[in-house]
Amino acid sequence: MNRALPEMLHCLSGPGNGTDITVLERQRTRVKWQHQEQQNYFGVFLEPSQAGQVGNFQDLVGDGRCGSVLRHVVTHSVKPDPGLENGWPELGRYELPDLGFGSAVLMNGSAAGFEMNSTITRTSSCPHTEAQVAPEAKGKVSEPAEKMSSTVGRESYKKRKADKVQNTKVVAEDDAKDKRSKVCAEEGESKITTEQTRTKNTTTHPNNRETSADTSRENSKASEVQKPDYIHVRARRGQATDSHSLAERVRREKISERMKYLQDLVPGCNKVTGKAGMLDEIINYVQSLQRQVEFLSMKLATVNPRLDFNIEDLFAKEIFPACSANFPTIGSSSEMTNPAYLQINPAQQMVACCGLEMGVNTPDLMALRRTISAPVSLPETYFDASCFTQLQPPSTWDADLQNLFNLDSNQGRSISFPSQPFTGSIEASNLKMET
Amino acid sequence: MHHSVSCLSYTWSFSRSSDGPTEPRMRNPSLIKEEFLKRWIIALRRCTSLKKNMNILERNKVVKLSADLAMASARNGTTSWSRALIANATRDNDNRILAEQILGPESEILVKRVSTMPFKTCNRRKIRSKRILKRSCSSAIRRVRKTVPRKVLANCIAKRLIQKRTHILKSLVPGGEFMDETTLMEETLDYIAYLRVQVDVMRSCTYC
Repeated sequence: MNRALPEMLHCLSGPGNGTDITVLERQRTRVKWQHQEQQNYFGVFLEPSQAGQVGNFQDLVGDGRCGSVLRHVVTHSVKPDPGLENGWPELGRYELPDLGFGSAVLMNGSAAGFEMNSTITRTSSCPHTEAQVAPEAKGKVSEPAEKMSSTVGRESYKKRKADKVQNTKVVAEDDAKDKRSKVCAEEGESKITTEQTRTKNTTTHPNNRETSADTSRENSKASEVQKPDYIHVRARRGQATDSHSLAERVRREKISERMKYLQDLVPGCNKVTGKAGMLDEIINYVQSLQRQVEFLSMKLATVNPRLDFNIEDLFAKEIFPACSANFPTIGSSSEMTNPAYLQINPAQQMVACCGLEMGVNTPDLMALRRTISAPVSLPETYFDASCFTQLQPPSTWDADLQNLFNLDSNQGRSISFPSQPFTGSIEASNLKMET
Repeated sequence: MHHSVSCLSYTWSFSRSSDGPTEPRMRNPSLIKEEFLKRWIIALRRCTSLKKNMNILERNKVVKLSADLAMASARNGTTSWSRALIANATRDNDNRILAEQILGPESEILVKRVSTMPFKTCNRRKIRSKRILKRSCSSAIRRVRKTVPRKVLANCIAKRLIQKRTHILKSLVPGGEFMDETTLMEETLDYIAYLRVQVDVMRSCTYC
């Protein structure tokens, strides 16, 4: 059985109808063989097109014979069909409804065709895909040369992985493959290349140059033909096709994608390529950042024995450049609120501006703590009101903070506050909060 | 190090949905900074209210702990490193009370969420068995090495290098030991963003 494919190819090379037919029949045999090998989905190999093939393909599409061939190929089990050996006329016997499929497979080397190919064996909705592909095929008749110029070999695998389609070079890669399917593929590829070398009509197509242009197109087409519940993985040509290696490849690609993001984030990573170097840079960067944090925290601990940070100064130095001068008036912002922040500012202000009366500090902090844990409540307004009497430039500072922290409007903040004696107000507010 | 401020033009967070490709979500760095500063200041105040006169070491610890917990709570358990941070903080009994105080009212929710993440124990066993397997394989590889062609040898060396560095990175990122490589990369991204924010905020704090 593993000899079937090369045998078929040998048989098909018999009829001397021209290079295009051999290409076609090669494709057919591949599809047959794919249907045969149920566990592995084997994409059709398309050879680089020759200019002469274009017209022939059009004829074939028009005739419908190619479609019939493919249907036959798909539905019947594989044997070196004598009908195939005789060439084209015999194939007309078989009828195929899905002409679009055949045309698609023949016409385009795009992902859509291959999706078609594999979806048929997956018992997908053929008419749907056919309808999708048919207009594509028609559109592609005009420019088949480009499409055919890219050689694609792939397999699809039913797993929840990202779908990627890759184009590879025309020349078959003789990578070592484990399973006999891969052996067949390789032999098939080598056969194709021999066939190609035989046909020396026009090989001036810049095959490899087209690959990059094609991949993007193929990728887009692959996405539109994709089944919703499966994410397909396509193995590259000449690579292992078992599930483990495919999963491994997907995993690797995910990791490399993440690495790209990391490259942007970590400075100096652009110069290094390769996983090891980038990992090294990342490690150095993380270590340096952690050391910086350690150093800075130590510095903060020494500089600030009481660990109170002057928020006003922080904002004055424009740490947050996004802060604009416009502050929301009362009743404007109804965003998320955090009552504790309200308390920080007046508390901070009191500590900073009010002469550091120690007697005030402790109740202030305790009150602060309580208010932090307490839900939003009205007493906060009193607290603010009392504190803001002491502020030198209350409006701007307050506005900045309001803007920054999206303070809730129903706190009832007002710019003008009644003047009250400081300590008395504090105690009053404390009392209110304790209730 | 002004590049850190300017380069933090975006932070990526990957969606946690298992189906479909992950999409990076951009987050405004200044928002993150604000958020971090808010939480951190609150946490610090909570700490200082608990204990008035701390020596320098305690203060250092408090600063770092509050910063860590602040950011971790900001992440709200979406990222693994934040969960690991919280878990580490609440593990030791002496830290636990402090940590819970810092976290405030939502501490119970967070701690519960962290503990329900069953990532630690089962992965530990897996990783232990993996390590044993790796060691046995590596000894086998060493025997074969002489007869192996150069390309494969270079490959092996590169792989070893990558493995070592991944291991180091896992030790750096909190909670990284129990992740696979893909999540490790995501977590590293997030963690780097957090470290940058922390450094920026702290530096500006020291200069005021």
